[in-house]
Amino acid sequence: MYYKYIIVAILLLLLGVLGIVLNRGHLIIMLMSIELILLAASFLFLINSVVIDLLIEQIFTIMILTVAAAESAIGLAILVAYYRIKGTIAVKSLNWLRG
Amino acid sequence: MYLLVVFAPLLGALTSGFFGRKIGEKGAGIFSSACLILSLSWSALIFYETTLNSSTTYIKLWRWLDSDLLTTYFGLQFDSLTATMLIVVTSISTLVHIFSTAYMDGDPHLPRFMSYLSLFTFFMILLVTSDNYPQLFIGWEGVGLCSYLLINFWLTRIEANKAAIKAMLVNRVGDIGLVLAMFTIWEEFGSLDFSSVFNAAAVAAEGPSTESHITLICLFLFIGAVGKSAQLGLHTWLPDAMEGPTPVSALIHAATMVTAGVFLLIRSAPLLELAPLALMVVTVVGSMTAFFTATIGLVQNDLKKVIAYSTCSQLGYMVVACGISHYSISLFHLMNHAFFKALLFLSAGSVIHAMADEQDMRKMGGLIKSTPFTYTMMAIGSLSLMGFPYLTGFYSKDLILELAYDQYYLAFAHWLVVFSALLTAFYSIRLIYLTFIADTSSKKEVFMQAHEGSWNLTLPLVLLALGSIFVGYLTKEVLWSFQATLPPIIPISIKLLPVIFSLLGATSAFVLYHCSTRAFSVPTPAISLASYAFLYSAWQFNYIINYFLVRNVWGLGHLISYRVLDKGVLELIGPKGISDRMIQLTQGISNLQSGLVFNYALIILIGAAVFIWGTVWPLY
Repeated sequence: MYYKYIIVAILLLLLGVLGIVLNRGHLIIMLMSIELILLAASFLFLINSVVIDLLIEQIFTIMILTVAAAESAIGLAILVAYYRIKGTIAVKSLNWLRG
Repeated sequence: MYLLVVFAPLLGALTSGFFGRKIGEKGAGIFSSACLILSLSWSALIFYETTLNSSTTYIKLWRWLDSDLLTTYFGLQFDSLTATMLIVVTSISTLVHIFSTAYMDGDPHLPRFMSYLSLFTFFMILLVTSDNYPQLFIGWEGVGLCSYLLINFWLTRIEANKAAIKAMLVNRVGDIGLVLAMFTIWEEFGSLDFSSVFNAAAVAAEGPSTESHITLICLFLFIGAVGKSAQLGLHTWLPDAMEGPTPVSALIHAATMVTAGVFLLIRSAPLLELAPLALMVVTVVGSMTAFFTATIGLVQNDLKKVIAYSTCSQLGYMVVACGISHYSISLFHLMNHAFFKALLFLSAGSVIHAMADEQDMRKMGGLIKSTPFTYTMMAIGSLSLMGFPYLTGFYSKDLILELAYDQYYLAFAHWLVVFSALLTAFYSIRLIYLTFIADTSSKKEVFMQAHEGSWNLTLPLVLLALGSIFVGYLTKEVLWSFQATLPPIIPISIKLLPVIFSLLGATSAFVLYHCSTRAFSVPTPAISLASYAFLYSAWQFNYIINYFLVRNVWGLGHLISYRVLDKGVLELIGPKGISDRMIQLTQGISNLQSGLVFNYALIILIGAAVFIWGTVWPLY
């Protein structure tokens, strides 16, 4: 009976993944997609927590939220630093390093 | 003493080769000549002991090839054949050494020259004194090597280089034959010593199955002799080898190297006797060589080439004599030929010396007045070559012709060699006429300065002329006694035929050249010009071999072994192909890292998916 929640969570996760892969635009969208993935993951944790009646996954979720906040803060900081140097934050301009 | 006759020339060669700088040009000449004189005197003694007192001597020196199936000693064998060859080789070589000290006077590399000459003599003596085939092969290859070094003596001349390489390579073709013969002999008889092989062959000939093997052995041996003795097919190196200095031609192409092939046939006589088919081949090839090279000799303009082709022709006579089983007569002719051919070559050297290194007969003439001595010597040599009665050549050459007639089943060979006797007389007289008798066409300053050489140039000529006159008469009883030889009973007209033909050829040459230049101009229709060109280019043999054989083999070598194999298959599956493929592969892999972030994300996700697929999925 929780399948529909799981499906929603997986759809959210895939949406985030596709957002990263198909995104040709800005870095911000990429960061937002990453946030979406993390949220979807947290959502899955919570569903599982309810299903198997275990608290540890809710603790994980809280820690993930912390990590996600820290991560987006650092990510935005890098983004701002990058924007100062380059004057643009287009993903396509991030192609200096290649094999 | 027996060892000294072999190793004295080696001593001379080593001394003048390594210490030529110390002992000087004169010293090298004197020392190597002295070593040769020593060798000659001992070989005369050996001749007396082994031949006249008929005591064959064998000397085993040390074990050489020693395995389970084959034991070969390094040994020397002095029988009458060896003693005769020793006399020939050492006497001619001594005279050539003395001649060279005068002829090559002023050449800065005289010690090297004398060293090569002595080394050549050493290898030739090693060849004739060996008592087994591998040791003979050392001498065989050694004379080939020394012929390369000597023909190439003036190593700055491109023609000399080419001629030397040609001599070496064409000889190698024959050497393969000798090597194959040795393999077959070993496989058949299990030994390579002459005495063992010949005894075993005589015993094995009783059995039915061995005849084809012995025929095969003899044919291989004959291929070896064809290469060395410049018979039809592999003769092309001999005329080109005239690029060397004249004493070299006298030594290599008169007395020593080319006779090695005939010597091999004479030495292997017990084997040849068991193979009638091989004898037939030997006779036919020999007679065709005699005729074919005599026709070429008619029209050559180079003084030395005429003599070179006559050498080929006379070698054909010797091979015919072997083919009709008269080996001692072949040896007899070999000996006589060595004397008069060396005389001819050294006289030609004297002429060339007198004419300031001019070799073309068309630019000579009239030398009878300025160099009468050389003219006399050349006339003696030519008359002897023509088989003029009572000179040396008469005793062996005419006997070969008579014996060839006696072998009635090979009338073909007889008529070919008789006709080539006519041609021999023609080109000999032509040579004398154009060089000495005709009106001169040389430059005035050259002609004014034509002169005889010093004593060491003329003394060898005198001695060889004495040899050319008397050797045949003096030694005929001795050499006939090696093998029971009776002059055959044939019609008197056939007996007279060679002499008549020779005189006819000589007279016609003289008349033709004497009258055609004075009385009338010979009409030259196209056919005679064409045949002249045909003969002058030696029946186009070089062209045919180069066009159909050498060029194709060369092209094949470039196409197959170079382009297809070396640069093709081996490169592809070897270093180049693999490294190219690796570079391509890594290029492709590293192209995945495009520098675009979303591509990285995609790759990471695909990788994660594959990982999950691979680890989690199999569990279900």
